[in-house]
Amino acid sequence: MAVLRPAGDFDTSYEQDMSVIRKRWQWVALLLFLAALFALPAYAPEPAVSLVNRIGIAIIAVQGLNILTGYTGQISLGQAAFMTVGAYISALLVGQAGWSFFLALPVAGLGAGLVGLLFGLPSLRVKGFYLVMATLSAQFIIPWLTRNTFPNLLNGAQGMNVPVPVIKLPVIANTCFLGTTFDPETAVCLYRFATPNEFIYITLVVLIISTVVALNISRSRLGRAFISVRDNDLAAELLGVNLFAYKLRAFFIAAVYAGVAGAMLAHNLRHVNSQTVGLIDSILFMGMLVVGGLGSNLGPIFGATLVTLLEELATVLTPILITLMPDIAGGATAALRPLIFGLALMLFLIFEPRGLAYRWTLIKAAWRLRPYAR
Amino acid sequence: MKKWTTLTLFILLGVLLLAACGSPAEAPANTTTNQPAAEEPAEEPMAEPTEEPMAEPTEEPMEEPAAEEPTEEPMAEPTEEPMEEPAAEMRTDNLEGETITFYHFGDLSGPYAAITGPLVFGMEDAVAAINENGGIRGATIEVQFADTGGSVDEAVAAYDRFTGADDNAMIMITYGSGEVEALASRFAEDKIVNLSAGLSAVGFYGPDSGYTFGLGPIYPDQFGYFLDYVTANWDTIKPATAGDEVKLAYLSWPGAFGQGALTDETRAYAESLGVEIVAEETYDLSPTADTTTAILNAQAAGANVIWTNSLAFGPAALMNGLGALGLQQDFILGGCNWAMDLATYAFVSDPALAAGLISPFPYLWWNDADHPGIQYAQSLFTANERTAGAQNVGYLLLVAGVDLAVKAIEQAIDTVGFDNLTGEAIYDALTTMGPVEPLDGVVRMDYSDGVRAPRFSQLRQIQGGPDAFNVLQDWTEMPDLRPVFDN
Repeated sequence: MAVLRPAGDFDTSYEQDMSVIRKRWQWVALLLFLAALFALPAYAPEPAVSLVNRIGIAIIAVQGLNILTGYTGQISLGQAAFMTVGAYISALLVGQAGWSFFLALPVAGLGAGLVGLLFGLPSLRVKGFYLVMATLSAQFIIPWLTRNTFPNLLNGAQGMNVPVPVIKLPVIANTCFLGTTFDPETAVCLYRFATPNEFIYITLVVLIISTVVALNISRSRLGRAFISVRDNDLAAELLGVNLFAYKLRAFFIAAVYAGVAGAMLAHNLRHVNSQTVGLIDSILFMGMLVVGGLGSNLGPIFGATLVTLLEELATVLTPILITLMPDIAGGATAALRPLIFGLALMLFLIFEPRGLAYRWTLIKAAWRLRPYAR
Repeated sequence: MKKWTTLTLFILLGVLLLAACGSPAEAPANTTTNQPAAEEPAEEPMAEPTEEPMAEPTEEPMEEPAAEEPTEEPMAEPTEEPMEEPAAEMRTDNLEGETITFYHFGDLSGPYAAITGPLVFGMEDAVAAINENGGIRGATIEVQFADTGGSVDEAVAAYDRFTGADDNAMIMITYGSGEVEALASRFAEDKIVNLSAGLSAVGFYGPDSGYTFGLGPIYPDQFGYFLDYVTANWDTIKPATAGDEVKLAYLSWPGAFGQGALTDETRAYAESLGVEIVAEETYDLSPTADTTTAILNAQAAGANVIWTNSLAFGPAALMNGLGALGLQQDFILGGCNWAMDLATYAFVSDPALAAGLISPFPYLWWNDADHPGIQYAQSLFTANERTAGAQNVGYLLLVAGVDLAVKAIEQAIDTVGFDNLTGEAIYDALTTMGPVEPLDGVVRMDYSDGVRAPRFSQLRQIQGGPDAFNVLQDWTEMPDLRPVFDN
């Protein structure tokens, strides 16, 4: 959709044309919003912060899927499997090899990205539903491998405990800085990201980085090539876009995002096993993307937020329903969660198939063009 | 120029932030580390070395969020040492107006809903009855529940919600193995007692665990107990088509619960008994799971015994599969305690297919109608007009579990007084109270000597209809197959 602006509001330089945030007040609003997010532990209850953590991790996973499915048009149901890869890599590096979480996080992303490349190979030969089936295989193969291979390392179906991320700072002038506390065992200052109020800082920083990267991918040559592959792959190939290379790049980037999200999830939960994320999560991620808006940078944010909140609604509603109608426990209640998700997905596909991001664009346009907008 | 100004401002801001957030890094008086502060002789050594050297007030007051969190406490096993001598005026009785909160969370909207529903009902009915009879020394029990939908993510969120709202959360009841494994370190770290129906050995004995106690025996012990019986009685119970050797197929759900009985310890134990595990197959965690492939693979591998760590539609899927293939008589079917339950019957195509199932049974059953504990549970069930579908193992076990919790809390109150009641005090009570028989012996526990799950059980077999869970072997100690971890 074209960006609608009032008369007289036009760009006068290339920099202006490329800028994402155009006005000074938009910068102020963004900084205030970020400040409010970072200050969340100061004024929001811990359960709310915990929810924001979960939403943030989901957004990162869906951002990856958005690059693959939204921009490149390659449908994948393997995103949760790549999260599992990232989660295990980080758990091993931090828990077994003693790496810092902050070093293990990008490595987990890259490791998942390499695995994503493998499952992206079929994209050369198949597309559409056939590609869905190919990526679905990741959802069965990867959990099986984690359960049945390297039992001494991966601990089979039981999985493994994952350490809390820690920042170590040296003691300077007998003082620990930045809220760290002295650890007598290692003689350094420590900050543990153990509670949701502490982990939120990791989530927000990674989320900002992943959003900026996703935004810039979509505006670069790479992003334009992705879009051309999605819109008309034959035309793109005739114009010199190497389909296979770009599809593989999309798979790699999507899996890197999934790996990072998986690593964060594992350290947030402090545990990982083959079922920490599964096929249902891959379907949820796809649903988040559809609800939020495919091929839009705001789509993953809107979609992941709404669907996670709907999931939360199911957990709130179920005990209430059982209190009112005890006979439905275990039967109808088990259907409530998929029912809510399915209903939301159906309603969006009927009434807003382009997702919440498109609706947001319309609202912004209407605001800019007031009072003439209808 | 503008960039340099901005950069300078950021550097200044950073320096200010560092200065504002600094705190002295004094080591405890007894530390032997090479930390600089420790090398400087202190004029007045601290009276009592603490684990938190930052607790001392400093000249520069500062925000110290990390100092408040309990995570700085060592994860070491709480000791059996006697607790603090209670003050003379401590309150142990007449606690009217006070509240003790039981937190519990489980899957009401996911795959385990069939078994969690009755567990929750049992909890609520038992607590309501206790409150009607005066609560715990007059204090009212409040129950807070959260649905997890079977997701560990939601379970952690529920835990965060509860602990965020209550600085002195003391006791939580959980129902799933996955939840227990994921949260075990948090329970230990926050010193919150967790009574769990998710009987994962890793959750109870894994690294950084310690505050999680089982309402039933861990799955490896149950598996070993079953193997003991099968090998000791093989000549009389073996299927007509079976040879002299016990060959076992482990057919179960994937995941923490389904694979919970298959550990290094149980493999070694099976080998020591001469049992060969010839097949390990998984099938879907779904009421419509097809077990045909798993059963045929087991048959092809020469198995004559099947073990499943599943519940409700899990064992039912195997029973239906064996029935459809006409192989029911070719296998001895065993399952964990949850397998032998009325919830299983809801999914079996023909009740006769359930006959023959053997399970450890670490509690009495509803048809032990002469037992006062069962009579009490039955009276609660009837008074609360619960539907027949809820009269299963979950309900009974949680009525007993609440009784156990009340006993432990009363002992803790007697020891430290109500005003000092914490999760740690309840932990100490549980680990020092010795053998205890909640609900007049419907279950039998003893959490002393580092044991965190019951070690006695009956073995029962379905011999006829849904009520015929008949005793094959009375209360006996189970083999000790606790996992060993490098803590």
